[in-house]
Amino acid sequence: MAAKGEARLAAMSAAIRAADAPQRIRADYAAFLREHGLVDGDVDALLERGGERMLVYRSLVHNRLRNVVREFIDRSAARRGKSEFRADFDAFMDEQAPVTPYLRDVPAEFVAWVTPRWTANEAVPPYLVDLARHELLETDVRNDPAGGEEPTELPLALDRPLRFDGSCRLMRYAWAVHKLPYALEDTSTPPHVLTNLLVFRDRTGKVRYLEIGEWSALVLEELICRKLPVAEGLRRAADRDGASLDDERLAKAANLFAELADHGVLLGAEPG
Amino acid sequence: MTTPTGIGLGLRAAFIERVERGEADGKVAFLELSPENYMHRGGPAPRRLGAISERFDIITHGLMMSLGGVDPFDDEYFRELRSFLDRHRSPWHSDHLCWCGFDGALLHDLLPIPFDTGTAIRVADRVRAAQDRLGRPMAVENISWYLELGRGQRDEPEFVAEVLERADCLLMLDVNNVFVNSRNHGFDPYTWLAKVPLERVVQLHVAGHELWDDTLIIDTHGADVRNEVYDMLAWVIERVGPKPVVLERDSNIPPFAQLLDEVAAVDRVYQDALGRWHANQLVAKHGS
Ligand SMILES: [Fe+2]
Repeated sequence: MAAKGEARLAAMSAAIRAADAPQRIRADYAAFLREHGLVDGDVDALLERGGERMLVYRSLVHNRLRNVVREFIDRSAARRGKSEFRADFDAFMDEQAPVTPYLRDVPAEFVAWVTPRWTANEAVPPYLVDLARHELLETDVRNDPAGGEEPTELPLALDRPLRFDGSCRLMRYAWAVHKLPYALEDTSTPPHVLTNLLVFRDRTGKVRYLEIGEWSALVLEELICRKLPVAEGLRRAADRDGASLDDERLAKAANLFAELADHGVLLGAEPG
Repeated sequence: MTTPTGIGLGLRAAFIERVERGEADGKVAFLELSPENYMHRGGPAPRRLGAISERFDIITHGLMMSLGGVDPFDDEYFRELRSFLDRHRSPWHSDHLCWCGFDGALLHDLLPIPFDTGTAIRVADRVRAAQDRLGRPMAVENISWYLELGRGQRDEPEFVAEVLERADCLLMLDVNNVFVNSRNHGFDPYTWLAKVPLERVVQLHVAGHELWDDTLIIDTHGADVRNEVYDMLAWVIERVGPKPVVLERDSNIPPFAQLLDEVAAVDRVYQDALGRWHANQLVAKHGS
């Protein structure tokens, strides 16, 4: 059995997190407490105060955290539906709960947890995971500890990787969720088209969204995500595209690099 | 490191831009902030904070140390916290007499602890460890609690005193929390204040609170400071002398000018009490 100090914390933690805690505390509070290892004096003291008071803490914790998540992904939460979103959140608290000490990172933990569940649930609109990931970007990219690195001042070299601003992310969506209106009451379905966005924080601190084509996305996947040297990255991207690295593709890549350098997101070749 | 006194304001995202623009200059003695809101973060927020901390003294007040918890400290969190405190030259760091996580999960709230010796020993050990890791003194804050987690062997002020002595640390005295608890649990707040070692008070908090239902007041920092809380602040300052006092406001934040008016109102109470403290000092020194 848990040490005495631990048992009391365990009981309260369960009262806050467990999906069935309200029902069980209201049915038999003493049994609930004893099950978590609490003994006579502690059980009596808590019974005196009553189970509803314990559940005040559950409400305080859930309200605060659920509101933060909703604030970050308000359109996804609205589309999910009030009670469904609440149930999802209760299940998150029950099964995992936040592990980050930073409140602003809780929404991303929730979205990571809920993604496979929404994907597997036919009642959930199929674009909702993409929309939630998209909604998270604004604060995620704005606050990324990385980003704002200095340019390397080195020209592009085929045998070296490129350095990109640390805040940039390549987002690949199956649905064009970035085209959805901002109104919370909107329920339209986004176009079902593969969508690639390069998202980064510019030098003024603003989050920028750059829509890019499939070839550009393949290239950036190799160069940003896998950090491959330019020539190897381009070759692999062409392989995955099922085509050869022809002049047209090379020209497109060169344009892409020039555009990203203009935006201050491509910072030059990595030093050797 | 400087140790400001007078009335400071808890820095919040809702008005950080106004502070950056200079609207609080000359009107607040210092700023208190929660490192967790800025740590592990890039972009405009830390840049803004850097500019602000050039103009104001900063005192840090944490939320997530879980001094009453049983989970081991998070090394990464402490590393980030230490470098943040060094960067902003906080003279001490405070966190709450509470727990906020269990079994790896972090619940982001100030959860109550039992007032017994076992808990006091555990908390004091963790405070000492935190002081070592942070390389500066720690102050612990008394929280608003809505239930005691089990049967305590002592009352809250005795428990607070025991932690302070065992850890040899400082007290961040939140007079609003004492008031809220006194109403919720039916005790005299001045008896409470008289039982804690006031010589360990390094900083104070004042705030407002709201009703949950007709039996419970919740410490939301969402309303103006009440007269009873002003009276308690004055009572303490009269006995401890000049200290930094923070006005905390987290919800229903009024227009910034109005918030600064409230800072000025806290300052009037503080200055009056300080006058009485000076008079007492003179009497003690020269006899009446
Ligand atoms: Fe406080």
